[in-house]
Amino acid sequence: MNTAMQTQAAKRWLDYTIIAVIAVLAIGMLLPFLWLFSVSFKPVSEAYKLPPTFWPTSLDLSNYAAVLASRVPFLQIYGNSLLIAVVVTVGQLVTCTLAAFAFARLEFRGRDTLFVILLIGLMFPAQVTILPIYLGYAQVGLINQPIGLGLMYLTSSFGVFLMRQFMLSQPKALEEAALMDGAGYLKIFWRISLPQLRPALSALGIITFTQTWNYYFQARVLLGRETSMTLPVAMDVLRGYLGSGSLSLVMAAMSMSILPVVLLFLIAQKFVIEGITMSGIKN
Amino acid sequence: MTALRKPSDLRRTQARTGYLFVLPTSVLYLTFVLAPVILTVILSFAYYDPMLGSRWVGLENFQRFFTDRRSLEILWNTLRFTFFAVTFNVSIGLILALALNRAMPGWLLYFFRLAFFLPVIIAAAFVSIVWSYFFGDDLGVINYFLRVLGLPAVRWLTDASTAMTSIVIMDVWKNTGFFMIIFIAALQGVPKSIMEAAVMDGTPAWRQFFRITLPYISPVVFFCIVYASIGALQVYESIVILTQGGPGDATRSLSILIVEQGFGSFQIGYAAAISVVMTVIILVITAIQQALSRKWVQR
Repeated sequence: MNTAMQTQAAKRWLDYTIIAVIAVLAIGMLLPFLWLFSVSFKPVSEAYKLPPTFWPTSLDLSNYAAVLASRVPFLQIYGNSLLIAVVVTVGQLVTCTLAAFAFARLEFRGRDTLFVILLIGLMFPAQVTILPIYLGYAQVGLINQPIGLGLMYLTSSFGVFLMRQFMLSQPKALEEAALMDGAGYLKIFWRISLPQLRPALSALGIITFTQTWNYYFQARVLLGRETSMTLPVAMDVLRGYLGSGSLSLVMAAMSMSILPVVLLFLIAQKFVIEGITMSGIKN
Repeated sequence: MTALRKPSDLRRTQARTGYLFVLPTSVLYLTFVLAPVILTVILSFAYYDPMLGSRWVGLENFQRFFTDRRSLEILWNTLRFTFFAVTFNVSIGLILALALNRAMPGWLLYFFRLAFFLPVIIAAAFVSIVWSYFFGDDLGVINYFLRVLGLPAVRWLTDASTAMTSIVIMDVWKNTGFFMIIFIAALQGVPKSIMEAAVMDGTPAWRQFFRITLPYISPVVFFCIVYASIGALQVYESIVILTQGGPGDATRSLSILIVEQGFGSFQIGYAAAISVVMTVIILVITAIQQALSRKWVQR
């Protein structure tokens, strides 16, 4: 008995030690973010001062004001990012759920072949589609148009796949009953399937918004003009303009740029993680 | 409206609705994925010049890629980066998941998931700028702490022999939390009864891991390796921002070369060939994974 209790105690101490180590690592993971926030509040002259600080000593917003007042069209760039992210998120929620419903619930010829072809899309990197898209966009005048970047991502294989997984895991009974009562498929989709899928829609919405907010490769190629840029691309330009003068301003701009994604994540951590594990495990 | 419907009618409306529902996705997918991929493959066999006329060049673009020392070095850089980034991202993610897979208060788990996952959701373009100051030579945050500890400063980004390591370090910081999250979910799927039986038998922990846990989660491990590889092969913004591909070509990746050739020098055909090479590597890795998982993972 005594030894059993001893091993119990030993195991508990092992647990505590591991949790303590993880806690130290977790704080280490956050240091770059703490540093960037802390620098964004510092007076310009102190930005480079060592030792580095990881906690803001004052909440002086003058660097933020300076970014907005600078000759970089920061608000417009911010607007571009928001526009693209919202259009793509709404677009994908519509197109992906419609397609997923068809793949999960409806029978039609060629359904499975079509689904496999769609899944193959998961393997194509942006690098192998960007040249023709660029050439095509140049023809129709979509280069340097923020909406052009949005158009490319109005649907996604990943989104269809994710929503289909969620739909397949749902009981069919309600839908079948509605069908017997003479309800049309659109009504079943809209009134019965979608309301049950609220967590899945949140997951896809947040993942899509974040991903779109963060696009760089495509944005850099397609949106070269300053007024059409998105935040990730503009940040590098900002660094050139503002950075020579002040690191604090760059970090203030950065804080504002990561804010929507951080907020979304703080509010809805559960959905994001659910969506990601769902796609990872079921693959 | 009658509630009585003939089965054949129902099947027809079902099919019609099905086609209608997949129509938007199909059209968009065809326009923005399938057609561009096919066009890129076609372009890779051509010399593209809309002004003076394009012509077929056969395998010339590929020949150029595989015989040019610079492009081979860049291919090697990309493969090296992929190997190290995938190895560390997946193994550290798994170790973190094993460490977190134990009883702890809910708020603590929330904090840990937040801390390890936050870098995943913030754009590489943003955090790379922060890291460029961390990796600085004289004013760098990391070198400051090295000096405080009495250690020699490291030229993280300005030395050709360390620059790639620095980029891998940032990549692991950024991405390992993603794999951690997936592994946590996978570990929760390992049946408790089997683990408890092993504990009762006094099986040592490392053996439990290699004999029970690892085989059980192996499909997820395979998925993570492939997913990480596909991402790592495309590495772009972290390098563009941290080193611009330098010093020299020491950290230049295939994606940077594609943009440089396609949109800098307007060598569209050559750039297309490079992106085809990248895609083929991705397809081969995926195929190997499929074959291996069919062979080993089944139990």
